[in-house]
Amino acid sequence: MEPVAPAPMLFAQHLVVDFGEVRAVAGFDLSVAAGASVALVGRNGAGKSTTMRVLSGVLPPTSGTVTVAGIQASTDPSGVRAVVGYCPDVGGLIPRATPWEHLQLAARLRGMRDWEERARDLLERFDLATAADRVTAGFSHGMGRRLSVVLAAFHSPRLLLLDEPFDGVDPLGVDATLDVIREARATGTAVLVSTHLLHLAVEACEEAVVLRGGRVVAAAPAAELAGEAGRDRYRALIS
Amino acid sequence: MKTSSWVQLRALFGLRWRMIRSDGVRVAMILVVIFLIWLMVLVAHGAAALDEVQLATAVEVAPQAFLGFGVLAVIAPLTAGGGNEIVPPDQLVAYPIRPRTQFLGGLVLTPLNLVWILQILALIAETAFVTRGGDASLGAITTVAYVTALTALGQALAWTVVGLRQSSRGRVVVALIGSSGLVAAVLAVKTGIGSALVDASPTRTVVHGITAGAHEDWLRWALTTAGLVALTVLGLALGERTCGWALRRPSDVGTLRAAHAVRRRPHHASALRALVAMDRASIWRAPALRRGALVLAVLPGLAAAGAQVPWQSLVVLPGLVAAGAGLLFGINAFCLDGSGAVFLASLPHDPRLIARAKTVVLTETVLASVVIAALAGSLRSRGTPTAADVTGIVASGLACTLLVVSRCMASSVRRPHKAELKGPRDAVAPPGALALASARLAISTGLLGVALGAATASGRWWAPVALATPVLLLCWLSLHRSLSMWADPVVRARIVHTVSAG
Repeated sequence: MEPVAPAPMLFAQHLVVDFGEVRAVAGFDLSVAAGASVALVGRNGAGKSTTMRVLSGVLPPTSGTVTVAGIQASTDPSGVRAVVGYCPDVGGLIPRATPWEHLQLAARLRGMRDWEERARDLLERFDLATAADRVTAGFSHGMGRRLSVVLAAFHSPRLLLLDEPFDGVDPLGVDATLDVIREARATGTAVLVSTHLLHLAVEACEEAVVLRGGRVVAAAPAAELAGEAGRDRYRALIS
Repeated sequence: MKTSSWVQLRALFGLRWRMIRSDGVRVAMILVVIFLIWLMVLVAHGAAALDEVQLATAVEVAPQAFLGFGVLAVIAPLTAGGGNEIVPPDQLVAYPIRPRTQFLGGLVLTPLNLVWILQILALIAETAFVTRGGDASLGAITTVAYVTALTALGQALAWTVVGLRQSSRGRVVVALIGSSGLVAAVLAVKTGIGSALVDASPTRTVVHGITAGAHEDWLRWALTTAGLVALTVLGLALGERTCGWALRRPSDVGTLRAAHAVRRRPHHASALRALVAMDRASIWRAPALRRGALVLAVLPGLAAAGAQVPWQSLVVLPGLVAAGAGLLFGINAFCLDGSGAVFLASLPHDPRLIARAKTVVLTETVLASVVIAALAGSLRSRGTPTAADVTGIVASGLACTLLVVSRCMASSVRRPHKAELKGPRDAVAPPGALALASARLAISTGLLGVALGAATASGRWWAPVALATPVLLLCWLSLHRSLSMWADPVVRARIVHTVSAG
């Protein structure tokens, strides 16, 4: 008897997202196993952030299905959000709330108990402990990005969606984010990272998926996009 | 090469016009302008319809009407932090917009204020009254000069305050002056010298100047008008300079905000309470909303107490106050979350909770301002209220509050806008949308107030209750419909996208 393959942590099938006349995502298919990490790469407007929004449950797709940890997004969107951690591409922070208040609210809405130690640890690792009680409106772009990663990883999700987590972040923040990705994978969390920084995509993920015109045009081991040859191959795929 | 302010102004207005969402809105705006012009002409010809007794009364209150406009011309730009913006400043950082352009833009946008328009209609009527029997055109010139002068001077003062408030010492100075003014106003109301002060108002001279034009007293008319024109020139020059000074001054607000730690609050007992606490903090920590909330808490009450309105007239008051309170943030309530709307949308919870939290905070804001104004007004009302007066005021307070809340939530769901609310001059919606919303709210609450006033005047205690009950029911249904719309994932995603990214 052949062994049965485990169900993927993320399974997206024929995803389509239309904004009026514009088709932002045109039949996106992806399957990510537990503990795997996939880089979502492509040009501006390729549909990466829209896809991430759909997978996080923030945006309903026009058609198609999303299943996370066996939960169907169309029938139980709240259940999907409970097991997903999402760092949006821009902002994603309530401007006049502090990082601690964000974590407090997330803990309340996620029904988390004894969350303070985990919150303090993450804030410390992302060098935000001293800013934990300051409103985020005064934060730099990099601080905001780091806090968004903290909020995405806070509840140890089964699927971690990081949209441009390295954008404008200093090297220490990049290291902290890479550590979070490694730890998440070690505990069986599937990770999807969308970024324009190819070398970080290669470092963070084992697989890469290239998007163009709202659909997957190539999928390959991330290592194949490393170095000069990898960059040339990537340019050929997106142009 | 420097571009003139007028060229910049034309370009900015052109951009704003192209940014309007649909042709229907453009046509509606043109129709509104035509309607207002028609209304002004109608009001100007209304003098002929008054009998001698009515005319004498109208002429007697003319200085007060002009003084009222003067007070508004100072207070409106102060509450807006220097005047309206054609385009939000954070969208113009890459462009060399001159301070003069910003100042003139604020002046041009002044009419986007319902109270300002109502005051202008009052001044047109008063001008027609005091010039009856003579040529009104010269008087009209004086009135225009008065309006322009006071508007320019009011904005110059507002920009000075904006500039002063850029430093912590300046904020202390402004707070001291503001609280002294408030104490003086309360004392004037309390001691009853308010009417003596109004009698000594320089607007009497303005009214005499207007009358002189109609009665061929050329010298008096010319001197008054020339004086007002000189004040206009002074206001424009001062405004341009104070605006430039205020915008150039480095602000320490950002530094203080970045360094200031907020006290941690205990974990909230329920998700709704946690969201309500977050929304309250979002209001109180936004400089523009905090200032607006303080104005709402003080000004309507002070005005009501000062006016010494009879019990029966207090029934109309909640409508006026509630409409103003709704404009604070209610017409675009989801903007409080900013880009954090995406964070909230990614959390597992009943999405209706977020809309419910906004409704709770909006209701308490509107109700608090209505109660403060009604209590302050009732302190100086003469005599004992009848049962009909009491039920009328209570019914009006509740009905107007729910009307404003339901209309605001409908507007928040149907017409969301991105609003950063970072600085003291940021508004919850673009000037045009704000003006339209203010007209919608004021007309509906005004009509409801008048209807409830009529029911109260019947002397039957149950009449206001009977009238308010179906209104409350309809508003409740409308509110329920708005919350159901928010519960639709597609509608919610559109709102989240708009308030978070624009």
